[in-house]
Amino acid sequence: MNDQHIVSAFDRDLEGIQAHVMKMGGLVEAAIGEAANAMVARDQELAEQVRAADKAIDALEELINERCANLIALRAPAAVDLRVVLSVMKIAGNLERIGDYAKNMAKRTSVLVHMEQVEGAHASLKRMAHEVQLMLKDVLDAFIQRDKDLARDVLERDEGVDQMYNALFREFLTFMMEDPRYITPCMHLHFMAKNTERMGDHVTAIAEQVVYLVTGAMPDEARPKATRLDA
Amino acid sequence: MYDTEKLGTDVNQTNTKISARNVQVYYGDTHAIKDVNVDIDAKSVTAFIGPSGCGKSTFLRCINRMNDTIDVCRVKGDITIDGEDIYDKRVDPVQLRAKVGMVFQKPNPFPKSIYDNIAYGPRIHGLAKNKADLDEIVEKSLRRGAIWNEVKDRLHAPGTGLSGGQQQRLCIARAVATEPEVLLMDEPCSALDPIATAQVEELIDELRDQFSVVIVTHSMQQAARVSQKTAFFHLGNLVEYGDTSQIFTTPKDERTESYITGRIG
Repeated sequence: MNDQHIVSAFDRDLEGIQAHVMKMGGLVEAAIGEAANAMVARDQELAEQVRAADKAIDALEELINERCANLIALRAPAAVDLRVVLSVMKIAGNLERIGDYAKNMAKRTSVLVHMEQVEGAHASLKRMAHEVQLMLKDVLDAFIQRDKDLARDVLERDEGVDQMYNALFREFLTFMMEDPRYITPCMHLHFMAKNTERMGDHVTAIAEQVVYLVTGAMPDEARPKATRLDA
Repeated sequence: MYDTEKLGTDVNQTNTKISARNVQVYYGDTHAIKDVNVDIDAKSVTAFIGPSGCGKSTFLRCINRMNDTIDVCRVKGDITIDGEDIYDKRVDPVQLRAKVGMVFQKPNPFPKSIYDNIAYGPRIHGLAKNKADLDEIVEKSLRRGAIWNEVKDRLHAPGTGLSGGQQQRLCIARAVATEPEVLLMDEPCSALDPIATAQVEELIDELRDQFSVVIVTHSMQQAARVSQKTAFFHLGNLVEYGDTSQIFTTPKDERTESYITGRIG
């Protein structure tokens, strides 16, 4: 298929919207990394920066939705163009949620710095956040390159994140049973782990949108799940 | 777009009304239609789309043998309606055209009264026994054409005095007056304003309760709005044929995708 529309302004609109998505994705990627770094380094200043940066992410989501609404109203997109618009709106929503989770992690870091440090847990939590960050980077690459195989690869990797969460859950439980003074910080850390696990789910939802965008159908096979409530 | 749920079940349950097999059309040396195979559903709207000169109107005109009137035109292959070959020697094209009505791009009312525009077909085909019968047919047809309320007080005024949109609905009423089973429409809205277009589209949606409608349109949005199935023609080939919602969201052929998204084909 020819890549360009006869009406070139249509291409400019579509490209503009996708550029905003990539920009938003970049900000969210950075937010995950910095939220994790702030936690490990007990860096309150960095945590504050993450919280403040979330405003820009929210504003981008609003801008993307507005541009999409305009494009639908003015250009009546069909087929692949329609799928771009639909998937972009959902992806922007998922990115916004991930941004919120990063912001929440930063908030908890601001509380945690005033408490006794829980030894050992931070490193695994940071590894988990790092994996989610990598998945997000890959899914954004898959989106812009229309690479359904890379998107499917991201879908598979969410299982690993779920397993990390399960392991952390057990670890926090042990800490709390050993020493009740750890209960409050461990509760915060557990929420941060859960936030990270949810980020992984949103990255997965983005990967599904990429598969839909490229193939016209949602991925059908049930993706592997490792979150067990009895863990 | 009117009611997608109803539409989905309709498409699956209806039977084939018109069936074309290996249809070729030549204008002199030009091969205008290349080996078209298609099954058109009864009581549904089928849209033919494609760029100018792709053969969609030519194929439409094969369905009521309008191409017979063009000397250099030759049609090969089989077209059946309800399983009967319409190109059989025993088929009278005039009778066929009573069964397969047609509406054209430009409204073309006869230079007669509104009443006589509708009454003409039923009269020559002997569908009315007396004046009362004929009056009834005229009223019923004008109602089906969604124009009765606008013209009931001036049935004996000339049809050509109506507005463009009204004239087109008059022509649709005229086409349905002979109780056809198939209604062919060749860009019926291209000379109409958006309001008249919407009225005709609403009418087409109502007509599919009784008729099998085949519409050629240059407006892809119109095809998306009114049809249950869409056929995309390109350079004389039937490139893709499927449920309208599928064609407009996930076309299978790249040429269809290029055309409906407004890219250079």
